[in-house]
Amino acid sequence: MRRRIWADPRLGLLVVIVVLVAVFTALRPAFLDVDLTIVPIQSDLTVFVVVGLAQLAVLSLGHMNLAVGRMAAVSAFAAGWAYDKLAVPLVVGLLIGLAVGALVGAAAGWTIAATGVNSFVVTLALDFALIGLVSLLYSTFSDGVAFHVAPAGMDILRGDTFADYCAGDLCGPPIPLVVPIALVAALAVGVFFRNSRLGREILMTGSNLQAARLSGIPTSRRIIQAHTLSGLLAALAGFLLAVTNGAFSADIGGSFLLPSFLGPVLGGTLLAGGAVSVLGTVFGAALTEVIQTGLNLLQFEVEKFKIYIGIVLLVALSLDRLRQVLAERRKQEVPRVPEPVEQKEGVA
Amino acid sequence: MTTPSLKISFRGTEFTLTVLAVLAFVVLALTTHGSVLHGDTLTAIFQFLAVPMVIGLAQMAVLGVGQMNLSVGVVTGFCAMVTAWLMVDVGLPAWLALLAGLATGAAIGLVNGLIVVLTRINGFIVTLATMTIIDGLRYGVHGTATYQGYSPGLVRLGQGSVLGVPTVFLFAVLVAIAVAVFFRHVTVGRQLLASGGNPLAARLSGVSNDRSLVLAHLLSGLLAGVAGVIVVALSGSVNATIGDDLLLPSFAAPIIGGVALAGGVISVVGTCLAALIVRLVDVAQAQYSINPDWVDLIVGAVVLGAVLITQLRGRAAT
Repeated sequence: MRRRIWADPRLGLLVVIVVLVAVFTALRPAFLDVDLTIVPIQSDLTVFVVVGLAQLAVLSLGHMNLAVGRMAAVSAFAAGWAYDKLAVPLVVGLLIGLAVGALVGAAAGWTIAATGVNSFVVTLALDFALIGLVSLLYSTFSDGVAFHVAPAGMDILRGDTFADYCAGDLCGPPIPLVVPIALVAALAVGVFFRNSRLGREILMTGSNLQAARLSGIPTSRRIIQAHTLSGLLAALAGFLLAVTNGAFSADIGGSFLLPSFLGPVLGGTLLAGGAVSVLGTVFGAALTEVIQTGLNLLQFEVEKFKIYIGIVLLVALSLDRLRQVLAERRKQEVPRVPEPVEQKEGVA
Repeated sequence: MTTPSLKISFRGTEFTLTVLAVLAFVVLALTTHGSVLHGDTLTAIFQFLAVPMVIGLAQMAVLGVGQMNLSVGVVTGFCAMVTAWLMVDVGLPAWLALLAGLATGAAIGLVNGLIVVLTRINGFIVTLATMTIIDGLRYGVHGTATYQGYSPGLVRLGQGSVLGVPTVFLFAVLVAIAVAVFFRHVTVGRQLLASGGNPLAARLSGVSNDRSLVLAHLLSGLLAGVAGVIVVALSGSVNATIGDDLLLPSFAAPIIGGVALAGGVISVVGTCLAALIVRLVDVAQAQYSINPDWVDLIVGAVVLGAVLITQLRGRAAT
C-alpha cells in the first residue's frame, strides 16, 4: 500500500508544484503578489482545468478530441452572437453556447460510432473544417473578428474576486468569481465518472469495448455521450476564456490543444482509456500554469516557454510509461513467489 | 506486376483525382479568360505546388505505418531557418547548408521515431510535444527577424526553370518518384507498409515493427527538411513563421489522395494530385478574390468527407 501512495502521480505533482512555487518565489517575490500573479493564475487555471476535463471526457474512452479548441470557438461564437444580436442575458447565452458545443461533440461522437473511423482522424478533420467555418462566421456576422459585448454581469464575472464582497469587516478571499464554475465542473465530472452508472459504463467501454458490449452496454451510445460531454466542457472553457478576455473572438480555443492533453496526462489519466483522474487533471493544469507564470515572471520569451512545456509533456509521458512497465513487471513477479501454494490463482 | 497496378490506378482514386484536377483547371482557364494559362501565373501555380506536395508526402510516410506527424509544419520552418542561418551567420557554402538542413529534418524525425518506439506512446501525442518544442526552437534561431540575401546562386536556381518547368517543381517530382520507388521496390519500404497494414502479421513474418516506425518518422522528418530547403531556395528570404500554415495541407493531400489512415496503404500519385487540387482551390480563391476562410472550410470539409467515404468504401469492400 505504501508503494502505491508513493507511485501516485498526483502526490508527485503536488510536490513538484510546491517546490516550483517555492523556487519561483525565491527568485521573484512578486510570484506571491495577489493582484499581479495569484488572481490571474486562478482565472487562467479555471479555463485550463475545464479544457483538460473536456479532453478527459473522451480520454476515458481511449479516444481523443483534437477539435477541442474549435468546438470552444464555435460555441463562443454562438454565445457571442446571441449576446450581440438577441441581447439575451448572461446565463441564456452560456446555455446556448453549451448546447452548440454539446451538439458538435455529439456529431463527432456519432460519426465515430457510426463509421468506426479512428477518433483522432474524425476530430482532426472536424477541426480543419471548423477552423474555416469559425473565421467565416465571424467575418460574416460580426464587425470583423470579435463580438465586443458586455451582457449584464459579465464584467463582474471577469474582474471581481470574492475579496470585493464584504460583510462588515469580513471580506472573501482573493478568488475570482469564475473559479467556482470550474470547481463545480470538476466535481460534477468526478462524480459522473466515479458514481454514476453512465460514467462507469463509459469507462468500461474505454477499458474493453468488446467486454462492455458483451455485458450489454450500448457502446455506440456511450461513445456519443462521452463526446457530447467533451463538446459541452469545451464550450464551457470557451465561454470562460471569452469572459476572461472580455470578447468573443475567433482566436478563442486556438491554444487549447496542448493544455487539454497536458492536464489529464500529467495527472495520470491513461491515453489508453478506462481510467481517469479529475483531481490529477486539476493538479496537472496547475503545474502547467505555475511553470508558465513563473517563466513569464523570469522574463522568458514565449518561444522558450514552449520548449519547456513540450519537454515537460515528453518527460511526463515517459514517466507514465515507466510506471506502466514497472506495474506490469510487479504483476508478473507477484504470482511467482506463492506459486506452490496458490496454483489455482496462477492458472486463473 | 505492372499491369494489375496500372489497372487499379486507372479505376481508383488516382483516376478520379486526375479527372477532377483537369476539370478544375479547364474551368479555371475558361472562367478567368485564360489568365491562369499565362506564363507567369502558370509558373507560380507549379512553383508553389512543390512545398505542399513534399509536405503531403512527409505526412504520407507516417500515415503508411498508421501514425501521424503533427510536427511536419514546424520542422519545415525550423529546417529552413537552420539552412539560412548556416549560410548567413556561419558562412557555409549553399550546398553544405542544404545538406545540413536535410540532416536536421532527418534527425528530428529519428528522435520522433525513437521516442514513439521507446515509450510506446501514440505518435500523435509525441509529435504534439515535439511540435511544441521545435516551434520554440524555430524562433530561437533568429527571433522574429528575417534572413535574406543568402546565396544568390541558390535563389536563382530555386526561382529558375528548366524548359519552362520551375526547378523546384521538378525537384519535388523527383522526390515523389524517389518516395514511390522506396515504397514500391525497396525491401524496407515494403516492410514499412506491412507493419502499417497488419503489425501482427508483419512481426510473424520477421519484420521489425519498431524499425518500421522509426524509419517512417525518419523519412517524414527528412521530407519535411526537403520542404524547408525548397522554401529557402524558392523564396529568397525566410523567417520563423514558415510552416505555420502547412499542417492542414499536409493532411489534406494524403487523405484526399486515398491514403488509408489506419496504415498499410499509400498513394504517391494520389497525394501529389490532391496537393495540386488543393493548390487550384487556392488559385481560384485568388483569381475570384473569395474570402480566404472559404478555402480552409472547403478543404477541411473535403478532408472530412474523404475520410468517411474511404472508410465506408473499405467496409463495403470487405
